[in-house]
Parts: sequence; structure tokens; C-alpha cells
Amino acid sequence: MTSIIPNQKPVIRVSESGFRRSVPERGADQGVTVTAVGSTGLPAVEPLVTVTQAGETALYTQCSPADVEAIIDALEAAGGDVDDAADRAKKTPEAVVDHEPTATRLPTAGVPGLDTRARSVLGGCGWRRPTNPADYEAAAGFEPPDPEAVLELGASLRGRGWGDLCHDAPLAETWETVRGAAGSPVVVVNGHGTTADTLLLESAPFEVLDGAVALARTVEADSVIVYASAADDRAVDTVREAAANYPELPVGVDVVTGPPEYRAAEPTMALEAIEGNHRLEARLRPPGPEEVGLHGQPTLIHTPRTLAHLAVGLREGELPGTRLLTVTGDVDATATVELPADDTLADGLDAVDLNGRFKAARVGGRFGGLTSDLDVAVDPESLAAADLGTEGSVHVLAEDRCLVEFVGKTATFAAEENCGRCVPCREGTTQLAGLLRDIYDGSYAPEKIDELVRVMSTSSICEFGVQAGRPVRTALSEFEAEFEAHADGHCPAGSCLDPLEA
Amino acid sequence: MSSDQQQAEIPPLTEGIAPGTATDPPVGSEAAATVTVDGTEVALDAGSTLLDALDRIETDDYVPALCHYGRQEIGPRSECRTCMVDTEEYGIVPACSFPARDGMTVRTAAREAAEARDVNLDLVLSDHNLRCTTCGKNGRCELQDASIENEVEEPRYGVLDDRDEYEPLDDSSPFIQIDRNKCILCNRCVESCNDVQVEGVLRIEGTGKDTRIGFQNGAETMDESTCVSCGHCVTVCPTGALVEKGIEDATTIPLPGFTQKNSIGKTYEHSTQAKAPMTPKKQDEQTETVDSESRTTDSETVDVDVWDDASGGGEWP
Ligand code: SF4
Repeated sequence: MTSIIPNQKPVIRVSESGFRRSVPERGADQGVTVTAVGSTGLPAVEPLVTVTQAGETALYTQCSPADVEAIIDALEAAGGDVDDAADRAKKTPEAVVDHEPTATRLPTAGVPGLDTRARSVLGGCGWRRPTNPADYEAAAGFEPPDPEAVLELGASLRGRGWGDLCHDAPLAETWETVRGAAGSPVVVVNGHGTTADTLLLESAPFEVLDGAVALARTVEADSVIVYASAADDRAVDTVREAAANYPELPVGVDVVTGPPEYRAAEPTMALEAIEGNHRLEARLRPPGPEEVGLHGQPTLIHTPRTLAHLAVGLREGELPGTRLLTVTGDVDATATVELPADDTLADGLDAVDLNGRFKAARVGGRFGGLTSDLDVAVDPESLAAADLGTEGSVHVLAEDRCLVEFVGKTATFAAEENCGRCVPCREGTTQLAGLLRDIYDGSYAPEKIDELVRVMSTSSICEFGVQAGRPVRTALSEFEAEFEAHADGHCPAGSCLDPLEA
Repeated sequence: MSSDQQQAEIPPLTEGIAPGTATDPPVGSEAAATVTVDGTEVALDAGSTLLDALDRIETDDYVPALCHYGRQEIGPRSECRTCMVDTEEYGIVPACSFPARDGMTVRTAAREAAEARDVNLDLVLSDHNLRCTTCGKNGRCELQDASIENEVEEPRYGVLDDRDEYEPLDDSSPFIQIDRNKCILCNRCVESCNDVQVEGVLRIEGTGKDTRIGFQNGAETMDESTCVSCGHCVTVCPTGALVEKGIEDATTIPLPGFTQKNSIGKTYEHSTQAKAPMTPKKQDEQTETVDSESRTTDSETVDVDVWDDASGGGEWP
């Protein structure tokens, strides 16, 4: 397989999620190479067609299959000249960018949304063919890692909240524990359920595998298991194919799926799913999976994001100081962008168009915190200090959304979707939904809600129950007037109480 | 036929046992340790939890540890979280399943730990049919004892007394009666059935508020399960959820017209001729045609509409 990175011959890339849907693939022998690449993380601009030759790339956004054909024809008629082809094509390129002919990352200047201040972990998305090792090798991948360098980066590399064994803590200490533990260590890549992780598995699986392999070699693990939701077939197929194409894999890599339910991403439930249990519930800890994990062996569980950051960090000698952020909710299309860690949540919103005026956002996962203030840096410490989640998501709520209804539904979801093991979560979420419902009957008991949410977070077995009350807690602290209004029979957003009753 | 012979004919069951629960790590300490509980030093052997330390002394506060059993290798399930204590080193932890590590300092009366125990006990009660007066375990119930000792007067979240929410009483087995409305999901019965007796009958099933004790063969009733009526589950049950037939009204306060059975309203009945005691149903399923006929009859008498428990997720409020 030859690389398409040094682009001396014209190359047309078609980037879209669910890659390979609509691309008439052609090899270089036909003059113009046409190939499918993964999503950029920004479905709003996709299918994105890039036409590249000799250090110049034209980017055409939102292309229909007919547009793709027309762009190919125009390029052929122009004898492979990017500018000339742009003049001939019926479609106007969003931007034409000059770059190094050996660029390993998608040139994004001039395309709104893609044009963030950083794009290193996502750099290969929409540029390199996801499962083609030659492209990844051209980007300096597959270098055997130096364990010392891995541990050094691990001192400042952090988990990504919910799906990570270490939540948000730096990882090196846990890695040392596993390295020193008896048994045969396992590295689990927890790609279950988070949009940015699914994107990496679909569009840049070698970054993820490279990070996992480097970590496996460092902790002397025999096995890497990539775990994903059975609902994300594209990601599953792609990472499977990438693993099969990975040159001389030094450890065994298996791809295992679990049920699509939200709870199945909780690290110990992920282990239960991988072990094949038909019913998933959380395990007690300590000792945690780093000591007694998959089939009793010391086990690390990290997200694709964390491992991709490790892979890029190893190549570049330092970690990219970035975070991936997925913006969703009342927006035109979900967007996943990469931001420098000192950029704010508000910067992430630049990548989308809002449907309506901004009211608030739920930040950091399904059980993230509600806030109207997006002037918070995206690094985990700043997010945690603001009682927001660190899972890398912003769910936008427009002006006409009722927050009591929103947190009520979240509590109902938690009551239905928890694993059923522990009382504070199993019974607590049901009572929490009940206390929120009572508000509609005029009985609003903030102290009772506070107390319940506090106990859920101090005494639940796993992060599901620890976090499940956060949307309510944060909504109460900033938007209490809305709760009081409901107790008086009035919904300020006008969405969840019959106006006649008000 | 003795039950020993029966056992010999049944293939070993451990392989196919699927209790629906997680594989927990061993939670006892790795080494002998001395911990300080409410100012008193306690020396413990390896394999100990903080609850072992609590058990040795008079603690400042009462720690119910309701779901804890602590015998026959059953548990800790650590599900009720009424054993939360404060530790200087790790914050608030469940005493029943936290390793006693050397030098730990534990306080039972710390405000947030006490609050967690109180709230969690009330949460258990919120989902418990508190019809103690018609319950065969009245007076010998661990939940009742814990509630009295913890001075519960009015549980914060009330008790389960909405008749529409009740699960039907399973009175189908000639030997064991199940009242799931009194189940606290401590998992002791599942462990006794699977790990101690190695019968593989009971399991935990469902999620969230629909979590319940069920049967590994997918049966709806005890009678249709593979239960061999050994009764171990009954002996470990902390409440009136699993009660031996014949004594289900043993400690009932006599109120004319009220019994354990009619306290729920809906009941799965066993409608066929009585079976001899200790009939292993596993064998019956494979060999006795009479029994398969009777099962058909059973299923016709079952009041199934109550299973149609529509739990409208997206609806609000
Ligand atoms: S916190 Fe919730 S999801 Fe986690 S173990 Fe408890 S019941 Fe299960």
C-alpha cells in the first residue's frame, strides 16, 4: 500500500462520517487518486472533498455525490491543476490552502468550524486513510516507544472522566502500579459511547492503537482490548481493520463490543461486558481494576482520546496541550473540535450554529453540570472547579428549554438506566425524579433535594450514581427561580406546564 | 429416591450458572492491620474489612450495615450503603467492603457519613412494603431491627404503599413464598443458591428500578423455576421477602381478615395437586409429562396484566 501523504500526483479525498459511503475509489494509475477518508468531526461541512496536489489543497464543503463526480471531472480536465480545477468546477471551494507537500494533517485554514487554534490529535481525521498503514507511517507513526518516555508523559497525561479508570487524575502512578503487579496486565481501550472517541476509532484508529500499544509495552501487557458499543458498527469495523493492518503488532489486539446502554461505558461494567456477563453491573473497589481487573488480571482502562494524545505526544516529544470537545444539543449539527486547553467552552461553540438563543448548557457528559457561563477553560481542573463534567461535551439548551423539565428527564433516565446494584443510585434516582415531579404539585423541597444528591454522590458504588445528581445540583444553584416558578404553577420557558393551569 | 442420588444424575452446574451479578475483587485487607475506630485501636488479621473492626468495639454511632451477612462467604454485596463511615485517608467509604489498611482512622459519627447511612436506610424503606403487621418475619426482620435501632420515625421518602406498584406475591411453590415488595436486593439468596448450594436457580435481573430477583431459567414463578426447595435462600433472607410456606403468617399480628397473602392483592397461585416435598424440578422438567401438563395449567391462572409496567421514560413530568 502506498502513501498518499507526499502528494506529487493529484489526490481527491472524500471525508464523511460512515466513511466509504459514496466514494468512487480510484488508484493513482488512473491519473487522479480518489479515496475515502474518515470524518473530520464536523458533519456540517461534510461530505468534505479536498483536492490536493504539490502542496496545494482546495476544500469543497457539503458535496453531493454529483458534486464529487463533477470535481473529479474538473480536475481531470484541468490536468491535475488544483487552481484550474477550482475554476472549472461548478462548485466553489470554501478555501484553497498552501501547505507542505508532505503535510500529515488536514489543512483547515479558512473553513469555519474546522479552523480552530489546534488540530493535532484530530489532524489525521479527514486526511489520512483510516486503515491504511502507509499514510500513518508517513505521519511518523508506528515508532517503537521508549517506556521511560511513556511514563514521563503519563505524569501529566490525564484521564477523560467517565470512561477512564483514573477519571481525571494523571495516569503515571496507576501505570507504575500495573507495571509492578503480578499477573499478565491488560490494556482496555474504552471507546464506548463518547462521540469524540467514536470519531477517533472511525477516522484515526492508528493513533489510538499506537497509544495503546505503547502503553501495553510499557506496562508489559500481553493484550490490548478495544471495547466499543455494538451500535457503533463503523467504528468497530474500522478499528478491527486497522488492527489487522497494523504492521508487526507487538501485542494481541482484540475488538470487543458491549451493549449500547450508557452504563456499559463505566470502566468496571466494561470489564463485565468484555468477560461476557449477560447483565452489567459495577464492581466494588478497592482494589480497583489496576490490581484485580479483567479475569482478575491487572488492567488499565483508558479512552481513545487519552491514548491518541499519548501517541501524538510520543511522536512530538511533548503532549499536545489540547482537549477534544463535542458540541451538541440545540445546534445545527453536532461538532467535535480540538481546542487548546486554555480555550474556553465558548470557543468551542464557534464551531456550530445555534438553533435559537443560548440559554444554558449541560457541560461534561450525560450527567454534566448546567451553566449559562461558558467562559470556563476546557482543562479538567477549571471544569471541575465550576462543578462541570470533564467528559468533553457541551449540550446546548436554547432559550425555549425548560431546565426543570430537562433535569427531570435526566433524573428519570438515571432511574431507568442505572445498573440496579446500589441503593443511593437505584432508589436515590427514583426519589430524585419524584422530588422533581412534586414541584409540579407545588411542593418544592430544596434541602431535601440537596441532601439526596449529596448522599448519592458520597455513597454510590460507581461514577454513574456519583454524577447522576449533578445536573439537578448545578441547575438549583444557578436557576433556582425556575424551580420556584414551577412550584407556583408557572413554567418560565412555557414548555412543560399547561398555560391554563398557570 | 434420595436427593443424593438425584444430585449424582444432574450434571455439574457451576459452568452454566449465571447469577447476573458482577465479579467483585476480594475486598479484605492484604495484611494484618491496626486501625483506629472512634478513638479505639483495633488489631485485625489479614483479609479484614473496616466492618470487622467496627464489630469489635462499641462505636459512637450505630452503623446498620443492613445487607451484610458475613457468613458462608456470602457477600459483601455492599449495596445498601448503610455502613458508610468517614476515614481520614479515603473520605467516606463503605465499612463492609473497604479493606482495613494499617493505620487507618475511622469515625462513625462524622456528619456526612451519618447522613449517608440515614438517607440510604430511608431509601431502602422507600421501596419496601412496610406491612409488618401481616408479615411472617415481623419481629425477626433485619430491616425492622435496623430501622428501630437507627431510630427511624418517619422515613423521608415514605414507604412502598401504592398498591398499583406492588409486584404480585409468588405463592406458586409449595415450600417457599416470595414477596418481592419486601426484597432489599441484598443478593444473599442469589449467592446462597449459586455459590453455596450450586443450584443455579436464582439470579438478579433487570436494571434501575426494575431490578429484581428472578430465575435463571427465565421462569416467571418459583414453581416453574428449577428450584429444589432446599430452603437456603429462606434462611439467609433478611426480611420477609423469602419465607417458608406454612409459617408465612407465623408472627402476624392477628387482625381479622388480614393475612400476608392478601396484603398484596395479586398472587401467583399454584393450582395443581400438591407435590411431594423436595421434588427437584430440574429432573421433572426433563422426565415427567404430568408436570409439563400442570405447568400449562399454572400459566393460565397467572394474573399477567400486572407485568405490563409501562415506565414512560421520555414523559415529563
Ligand atoms: S452507582 Fe448506580 S450504576 Fe453505579 S453501581 Fe450503583 S446502581 Fe449501579
